[in-house]
Amino acid sequence: MAGYKGPALIAVSHLVKRYGAELAVDDVSFEVGKGEVVGFLGPNGAGKSTTLRILAGFLGPTSGKVTVAGHDVVDEPLEARRSIGYMPEGVPLYPEMRVVEYLRFRAELKRVPRTARATWVDDAMRRAGVVDVAHRQIGHLSKGYRQRVGLADAIVAKPPIVVLDEPTAGLDPNQIRQARTLVRELGREHTVVLSTHILGEVEACATRVLLIHRGRLVAEGPTDRIRAMRNATAVELTVRGDGDGAARVLSSIDPIWELSRVGSGDDMCRLRVQFPSTLSVDECAAATERCVAALVGAAIGVREVHAVGGSLEDVFAALTASDGSSAEAEA
Amino acid sequence: MRGFWPIYRRELFAFFVTPLAWVLIVSFLVVQGMHFFLLVDHFSREVDVAGDETPLSAFFGNTVLLYLVLLVLVPPMTMRLFAEERRSGTIEALMTAPVSSTAVVLAKYASALTTYVAMWLPTVLYLVILSRTGDLDWRAAASSYVGVMLVGAGYLSVGLCASALTQSQFLAMVWTALVLLVLFILGIGEFVTREGTLMHEICAHVSVWAHMNDFASGVVDSRRLVFYGTLAVLPLYIAAKAVDAWRWG
Repeated sequence: MAGYKGPALIAVSHLVKRYGAELAVDDVSFEVGKGEVVGFLGPNGAGKSTTLRILAGFLGPTSGKVTVAGHDVVDEPLEARRSIGYMPEGVPLYPEMRVVEYLRFRAELKRVPRTARATWVDDAMRRAGVVDVAHRQIGHLSKGYRQRVGLADAIVAKPPIVVLDEPTAGLDPNQIRQARTLVRELGREHTVVLSTHILGEVEACATRVLLIHRGRLVAEGPTDRIRAMRNATAVELTVRGDGDGAARVLSSIDPIWELSRVGSGDDMCRLRVQFPSTLSVDECAAATERCVAALVGAAIGVREVHAVGGSLEDVFAALTASDGSSAEAEA
Repeated sequence: MRGFWPIYRRELFAFFVTPLAWVLIVSFLVVQGMHFFLLVDHFSREVDVAGDETPLSAFFGNTVLLYLVLLVLVPPMTMRLFAEERRSGTIEALMTAPVSSTAVVLAKYASALTTYVAMWLPTVLYLVILSRTGDLDWRAAASSYVGVMLVGAGYLSVGLCASALTQSQFLAMVWTALVLLVLFILGIGEFVTREGTLMHEICAHVSVWAHMNDFASGVVDSRRLVFYGTLAVLPLYIAAKAVDAWRWG
């Protein structure tokens, strides 16, 4: 809790987890400092959940060392687990219990002092926004509310660290927005580690991103860097005509832009302009404006302009490729 | 033993808010009530029945009904203990709280045992009825209940262990029923194997029938205590090891 003053709240070094012959986590090392909101990003099956489960103490590492708030998860499992509020993937809850009953049970299990229990449960319910369903049975709640009950459970014992595995999986867009707001609010009082396979999610919530792929940590960096890569990759333009004229106009603006034809239809054509990765977000926006201006100037009808965000795979490729030159990219 | 009490209370709560618990208890009491009625009826009509047989010893000892009921009731009582939590994933939330595996196993076991005791509790009324109409050997009654509790402690432990070893409640139920059935059939073997053979010795040692006959006539044999003690502790130990093993699987 507030007593911890060390530099890293979570320290993972050379973590390996094997399921039989399968290597789920392969030599992963990272640290998380106090007050950070760290996003674990990677495709499904990359090893995110396994890593978080080891942090939370549900699984044991095959090798490597994991300390949470200064406690080794293997040698001092109870102390380590006490400093983490964990929300498992899919938010499993006991359907037959009422929300407030469940949270009181969890608070007692997490050794919240008896006298403080009612207050802390009320506190968690208020922060997670489940006060209005406090006396409803969990099995009758919507997915969005269940997610919030899971969040309330994660914070009920006021742990210094909150670990959330896929906190927005299965929610509708409205609920996702609310969940992200909640996570950001949690970030003010707790150190948060969350996992997701959606790029937008880490952008919306996290201050730092860890990219994990096939069990390996392929890159890490502040969210801004990821965002830059995502926004500043390419633009797709749908123009009238067969596209030859438009291609000539576009390639005359800057010869190093990569031009490709991604689709064509009845008297229309879609072109993709790939900007070099050295361009910043603003420069890419300016380049997009120049494209449109040039096309309009050449009297070519522009029907649609669509900025293309880098896919997760693009970001992976870019990050792993720029690992050596990261100093230059950050300069 | 961190976390024993909250888990114990939650388990009891979870069992009694579902219809399953009430269905099991009601069917148990219906069968035992009929059993008791038939016995009393029988003894009241044959006043000059052979001396050492009493309704009490017949109710607990010389009957197959007791075990058949337990064979049917124990597996569904224990099947959900771990299998349900593993299937639904709630085990993950449970095991990431600061609780020890031993506490989780013992709390779940204690809740099942409490339910079992609650199931038997109304049958104490039969003793009251019997003691009003005639002399009752309270020592034999006490040892009968000790016997019933020991058998239950062993059977429930087997059921809990099966539930910890599979994610399927159905499989847990089938496994429990199988193990209990094998124990029961081995017990019957006492009557079919030739006396003096090793098989006969083994069968006699595990025969729940013989055990309950002893208990019902007021004999508490230390060999029985050791047998049921082992039958309770060993599966619990295996279950605790299994719970730890998930972590390293």
